[in-house]
Amino acid sequence: MKRGLLGLVIAALALLPSFGEPYVLHVAIVVLIHVVYAQALYVIMRMGYLSFGHAGYIALGGYTSALLATKLGVSPWIGFLAGGAVASLFAWALGTVTLKLRGIYFSLSVFAFAEVVNAVFRAFEAFGGPAGIAAVPRPVLFGTRLQTHAQFYYVVLAVALVALFFLYRLQWTRFGFTLLALRTRETEALAESIGINAARHKTLAFVVSCCFCGLMGAVHVPYLRFVSPFVFTFFLSTDLMVYVMVGGLGSYWGPMLGTVLLTGLGEQLFAAGYYKSLVYAVVLLVVILALPGGLISLPRIFRRGATRERVVPADATAARER
Amino acid sequence: MDVYLLLIAQGLAIGLLTGILYVLIALGLTLIYGILHIVNFAHGEIYMLGAMGVFYGYVVLKLPIWATLVAILVLALLLGLVVERAFFRSLRGQWLQLVVASVGISLIIQSLAWVAFGIQEKNVPSFFTGVVAFGGVRLPTERLVAAAVGVVLVVLLYLLVYRTKVGLAMRAIEEDEETARMLGIDADRVAALACALGFALAALAGAFVAPIYSLNPGMGLEVILMSFLIIIVGGLGSITGTVLAGLLIGVLQSVGGVLLGAEAAYGLVFVVMIVVLIVRPAGLLGKA
Repeated sequence: MKRGLLGLVIAALALLPSFGEPYVLHVAIVVLIHVVYAQALYVIMRMGYLSFGHAGYIALGGYTSALLATKLGVSPWIGFLAGGAVASLFAWALGTVTLKLRGIYFSLSVFAFAEVVNAVFRAFEAFGGPAGIAAVPRPVLFGTRLQTHAQFYYVVLAVALVALFFLYRLQWTRFGFTLLALRTRETEALAESIGINAARHKTLAFVVSCCFCGLMGAVHVPYLRFVSPFVFTFFLSTDLMVYVMVGGLGSYWGPMLGTVLLTGLGEQLFAAGYYKSLVYAVVLLVVILALPGGLISLPRIFRRGATRERVVPADATAARER
Repeated sequence: MDVYLLLIAQGLAIGLLTGILYVLIALGLTLIYGILHIVNFAHGEIYMLGAMGVFYGYVVLKLPIWATLVAILVLALLLGLVVERAFFRSLRGQWLQLVVASVGISLIIQSLAWVAFGIQEKNVPSFFTGVVAFGGVRLPTERLVAAAVGVVLVVLLYLLVYRTKVGLAMRAIEEDEETARMLGIDADRVAALACALGFALAALAGAFVAPIYSLNPGMGLEVILMSFLIIIVGGLGSITGTVLAGLLIGVLQSVGGVLLGAEAAYGLVFVVMIVVLIVRPAGLLGKA
């Protein structure tokens, strides 16, 4: 049943360009890109860590592909991989230093890192300075440059499906289960007592998370055809966090649900400017206070409600202070 | 060469004066962290509201400056109480939710501020004019006064935390909340007080910089970044560490800005933070 539904959704996504307007395709591309960002962020949030700076790693990936393509004429296809690689490298460096410490050090360091990345891109003309980099080329496939929405849509869809499948499977591996065990201080101590190197697992998880952010960032920039220090800001990092929290941390489908609903809504609110942030923030606070499991926990709450059972938000992730 | 040295001395002095204002903001964060174990992301927004308060009270409504400051102080204390009661209290113990909630509050304040205050940068005329010269180093009176008031506030906070019963309760909760509660300390009230005080410090810091910088609703972000770096470098929860780190980072940013440029100075401060995390992970004065 679930598998059938999934197949149906993928088929619908694959057929979308044949009947979708360019605007619909644009929304679909934006949603797909953000779904991957949120799902990548979920890898570390699932183990109880918060990042206020994932936009920094997205920017690293995006700038890498933009610089390679515009300054060195490297094919954007290679730029995609390079974007993921550069983001991974920086994630590894910061993760090694900060993931041995309490979670709050990590969260604050990542935030500071992202701001510094932005400041560096702003400061040096070699990186485009405040104006950024214009005329970033789209990739070429079988001799055609993918200029239309429909052509580029398939690139985004392919990358997104690969990334989402990988991240989904990752949960059900030994590595994925170990990450879940690192969620609270107590279970982390327990895991270490049976010989699991917690710091190394966490660092690797952070690298995986940033790798997909960098990769998708490298795809995002050619879609926009430009990048500047004002594209991937702190507000992207917080938006992603809002998507994950609103959707719910308890299931892989939670962040995806949150992203699809909120980015879809966000596109409609785009003209409303600052009200978009406001709407996101209000939704976030309401969900955190009233629905600790996120939107994904709603069906279960209804089911339990029918039997008048008290709902214990088991997946409200009691990630206690670390 | 002499001019160069003078420039560095000037940067050093300005850095110290700026550092004291950073200390005010970071101390509020430290105070709240000690009790609630979260970093309050909304802190930068409170600082921004403090600065905007001066603009609307002193410039638009033409209130005397003391009345403006008192109004800001009272409003900030109230806001702290309300935020603690409405959001932080029901989420006590849920680390992830607490921090994310503070981000949500920050986003709400900031987006409302853009709508209410507009994108036009606002300027507040100086409260005090004139320049005081120490040898060749010339410092605006205004910054000196702001720093002096800042020092007084830091001393008052010290006295509160280390010489009063409430301060003792705060330190007890930080040490071991469960035991503190068993001994009859009302942790919720102490948390509310810490929030109110933290918000007040941030708002006052904002009020003091109002005549120095141009004001816009996004001004909180840079300051919150610096404050986070300060509490990491100083050691989370350590008041003395926060004071030291605040001054250090104020100086680094200012001197670094003179020598390398503003953006590179950010990088420099960040590198210092990473080095501290590698060499002394708990911060300069933090407990391991």
